[in-house]
Amino acid sequence: MRVKSVFAAVVAAATVVGVSACGGGSGTNADGKTEVVVWMNSTTGDGKKFWDDAAAAFEAKHQNVDIKIEAIQNEDMDGKLQTALQDPSSAPDMFLARGGQKLRDVVEAGQVMDLTDKISDQVKTQMKTALDTTTVDGKVYGVPQSVLPGGIWYSKDLFKKAGINETPKTWDEFADAVKKLKDAGITPIALGGKDAWPAAHWYYWFALRECSQSAFDEASSDLKFTNECWVKAGDDVKNLIDLDGFNDGFLTTSAQQGASSSAGLLANHMAAMELMGGWEPGVVRDLTPDKKDMADLGYFAFPEMEGGEGDPTAILAGADSMSIGAWAPQEAVDFLNFISEKEWQEKYAEAFVTIPAAKNAQSAVKNEALQQVLKVYDQASSVSLWLDTVFGQNVGNALNEGVVNMMAGKGNADDIVKGIEAAASKG
Amino acid sequence: MSVATSMRAKRAGRPRSDKFRQRFEMGVLSVPALIMFIGFVILPVIMAAYYGFYKWKGFGKPDVNGQFVGFDNYRIILSDPSFQQALGHTLFIAVMSLIIQGPLAILFALLLNQKFKGRGLIRTLIFVPYVVSEVIIGTGWSLMLQPNGAVNAVLKNLGLQGVDWIANPKIAIWTLMFIISWKYIGFAVILMIAGMQAIPEELYEAARVDGAGFWRQQWSITLPLLAPTIRMWAFMSIIGSLQLFDLVYIIWGQYVSSTAGTSTMATYMVREGRLANNYGYGSAVAVVIFIISLVIALTYQRFVLNRDLAGATEQRERKQYERRAKKRERERMAESEIEAAIVPNNASMEVSAS
Amino acid sequence: MTYTGERIERTLLFGKRKRKNKNNPYAYRKSAKTPWGHPVVYVLSLLLVLICVVPVLYIILGGFRTNSQITRDPAGMPNPWNFENYASVIGSSTFWTELVNSLIVSLGTMVGVVVLALMVSFVIARYRFRFSRVLYTVFSAGMMFPITVAITPLYLLLRNLHLINSQLGIILPQIAFGLPQAIIILVPFLQSIPKELEEAAQLDGCSRLGFFARMVLPLSGPGVSTIAILSFVASWNAYMLPLFLLNDSTKYTLPLGVQMFSSQHSVDTAQVLAFTSLSMIPALICFTIFQKKIVGGLAGAVKG
Repeated sequence: MRVKSVFAAVVAAATVVGVSACGGGSGTNADGKTEVVVWMNSTTGDGKKFWDDAAAAFEAKHQNVDIKIEAIQNEDMDGKLQTALQDPSSAPDMFLARGGQKLRDVVEAGQVMDLTDKISDQVKTQMKTALDTTTVDGKVYGVPQSVLPGGIWYSKDLFKKAGINETPKTWDEFADAVKKLKDAGITPIALGGKDAWPAAHWYYWFALRECSQSAFDEASSDLKFTNECWVKAGDDVKNLIDLDGFNDGFLTTSAQQGASSSAGLLANHMAAMELMGGWEPGVVRDLTPDKKDMADLGYFAFPEMEGGEGDPTAILAGADSMSIGAWAPQEAVDFLNFISEKEWQEKYAEAFVTIPAAKNAQSAVKNEALQQVLKVYDQASSVSLWLDTVFGQNVGNALNEGVVNMMAGKGNADDIVKGIEAAASKG
Repeated sequence: MSVATSMRAKRAGRPRSDKFRQRFEMGVLSVPALIMFIGFVILPVIMAAYYGFYKWKGFGKPDVNGQFVGFDNYRIILSDPSFQQALGHTLFIAVMSLIIQGPLAILFALLLNQKFKGRGLIRTLIFVPYVVSEVIIGTGWSLMLQPNGAVNAVLKNLGLQGVDWIANPKIAIWTLMFIISWKYIGFAVILMIAGMQAIPEELYEAARVDGAGFWRQQWSITLPLLAPTIRMWAFMSIIGSLQLFDLVYIIWGQYVSSTAGTSTMATYMVREGRLANNYGYGSAVAVVIFIISLVIALTYQRFVLNRDLAGATEQRERKQYERRAKKRERERMAESEIEAAIVPNNASMEVSAS
Repeated sequence: MTYTGERIERTLLFGKRKRKNKNNPYAYRKSAKTPWGHPVVYVLSLLLVLICVVPVLYIILGGFRTNSQITRDPAGMPNPWNFENYASVIGSSTFWTELVNSLIVSLGTMVGVVVLALMVSFVIARYRFRFSRVLYTVFSAGMMFPITVAITPLYLLLRNLHLINSQLGIILPQIAFGLPQAIIILVPFLQSIPKELEEAAQLDGCSRLGFFARMVLPLSGPGVSTIAILSFVASWNAYMLPLFLLNDSTKYTLPLGVQMFSSQHSVDTAQVLAFTSLSMIPALICFTIFQKKIVGGLAGAVKG
């Protein structure tokens, strides 16, 4: 045992020496400037431009800093980050993190900087609610840039064409809308099953509506899905499938990549609605033919389920936050505080067509659908994170896959729960 | 084989130095490759075996940040239905690849082994799918096979109803089989052509004199003499199937392959290991894949390939022995004609010599 | 001793004869004497070629179409032809950077595989020692170690060597994983070089290594080009290792570039197709030039 720990210490020491000798991702570059490497997931358009602009503005103020923005495709982000974080010399100093178990994993591995005492007053006061998502055991490990409540996004034109005058509020109204759209020859629902999580979001929402708040929170923390509301949510998925409202080939449709992705279908009026988070307007904009905002994009809250024990105003939401690597220089923290200022939060909201995390920047939201979202968000009885984020990659992936399986006609609600338990034993 | 030995070898007298010198040469020639091979191939597999005993998220070191679980990971893998399915798909692909590609490749090779103008161009063209990368093939085919893609458009023009080639779990595995066969058959054909060209023309001439027709010649000369080539190709094909990853990963994405029924052992490993953050578990899967590959390969070597592959050096020694024997009995050169029929690569030489 | 000389002479003679022999793979070349084939042969060959080439042509031609053409008629021809997609890819620095990266990695891998495999194969093929048989078994067993299996520990290993995000970090493992196949192809090739040549060389005062340099290298030409092309193409197309190892987009090789490009220009299918087509050209050219040699090289390998 002693020998083992001595050995471990030697290895650890050697690693540290090796890393510092190498310089690595952070540190000083050839011009003597401090380099800050940032990983974010906007590979195109205004989102990418926002980061470049912010970096340039910060560099103009701080001559000795070189901000290096690297765009990683969203579906690759988790995997790449995971491998890169193991090695400070290749890891980014600042990176996208989404809270939940995923954040907890990296916190426990000591790879994220504790920001509790480092965040600015702006962050502390204006982002108070959103900070919950990045708080682990009372300490702040990231700064949210946007809050992303989920719901159903739809094309007003297509709804009108199908003779739907009011957005559905209950499940029956929803089923009715799907039928009307089908009768009008319109694909009712776009679904990007290839990435698994878009399909799983349906299950999360059904569970949120079927489970009481306490049952939902309990399962989120102890990973036991004994309450029958979880099976009921599975049955709801079954009912959804029976409506036969998805696009053809939804299993191999990706969520955001290209005109044939589910978001692309909505953007090009080839499907009438999609269940998504608050990033949808920005994603859809990049996929419209002229890359402009989709003019007739609308939003409504997820319908009420009859007999469900959950509060019908409860919502699921995500938050895109930036965390700082434990090895990062002070300049990385400065940059994070810089982009959290009102001015840049407003620009962020504009660039990503989303809701900024800072309250004082939320007035900048001009998009009509997003204003609708804000209303739902402000009235929500509770805000929960996406379940796969809450559970972490291991169990989260298994849950997502279980739902996809069910949608493909393989397995039932019980199998979802079984899959989750099997995954828990692997990690 | 150290430097010191070789120095001594140089100083030593002639007769003994030969042996040392030979060893020194062997060392110089083989050590660089051995180091690379052991360092980057063997060592990682041993490391995987070590990590496989831990539950480990990939942070830090497994013995510090992970939890030792013994053979737990292996128990879970073998009882996991998704793994059993992935294994089933992989074996199915391996067997079907042999059944589909083997006969077709031999037929195509027979065709392209005819002498005719333009055959060089044709040979090059059928190799195109093999040369183009899996990423491109995957991207291209998944575009064409979309429900509203080119393939279904063509079918529609022909008055046929298209299907969902990729997502339909009943069809997906056959779609994958088709793409695999399409992509890799070029390599099989080239290999078969190469094998056929090593068969001496004289044998066919003799058969023609005996009145054998074209197919009869192929059956009794080409097939038996092509056997080593076929066995070697089959080995490479099986190993390739067991490792299949890129195509499935690109066409079906990170999650859907098990739903569509096209998951392989390798995609299972990446999904449960890297994507799910379970580096210990993923390493254990790697070890399982390795052991399965090893067992299959060894069985194949033992029962099918031993003459061609593992026994290659023995065969060489046998040939050398024969050569020496021949030296002693030069007057019995006639024997070489029988030899020629057995050992094709010496054939043309010996026949013309006699 | 005259006997040996005689043998060499004869072997060399046959060597020359062989080159003239039409049936010989190395002698395969355009010749006025090649006859036209039977029409059936052409029909069948054409069919085969179509099956192999049409999907690839679809990708290439798709690059000459516009997105609306592709959406309207997925299986149609370019009408009118649109050259903008290719022009904009060729005009972008991304493509050229990635092309250069791919070239560095592939050429590095190729040279490494050829040099190391030749050295080891020579030992296996020409030295009579138990050691050489062990070597052969070890390396041929390497065929069973897919890079897929080793990828995670390999990543950790390269991290400790500070080879993450570097081209060397891709080249070195690729050489190691390329060795088994190369050795299996080369060994029979080197074995087929007549023993008598070596004996003669020894008589002329040539050492084994001298023999290696002066006789083996030139004579193993087709085998060497075969493993060179195969390792070049394998490295050119490699996806998994670069995917795990490269984060810095300026280091990307083309397969990663294709993926990145197709997500960045996800709406622009036509341009993705153009980028994809251009990225496969170097491997295709390389293969087309050496196709004849490959048949020869494999023929040497499989006749054992």
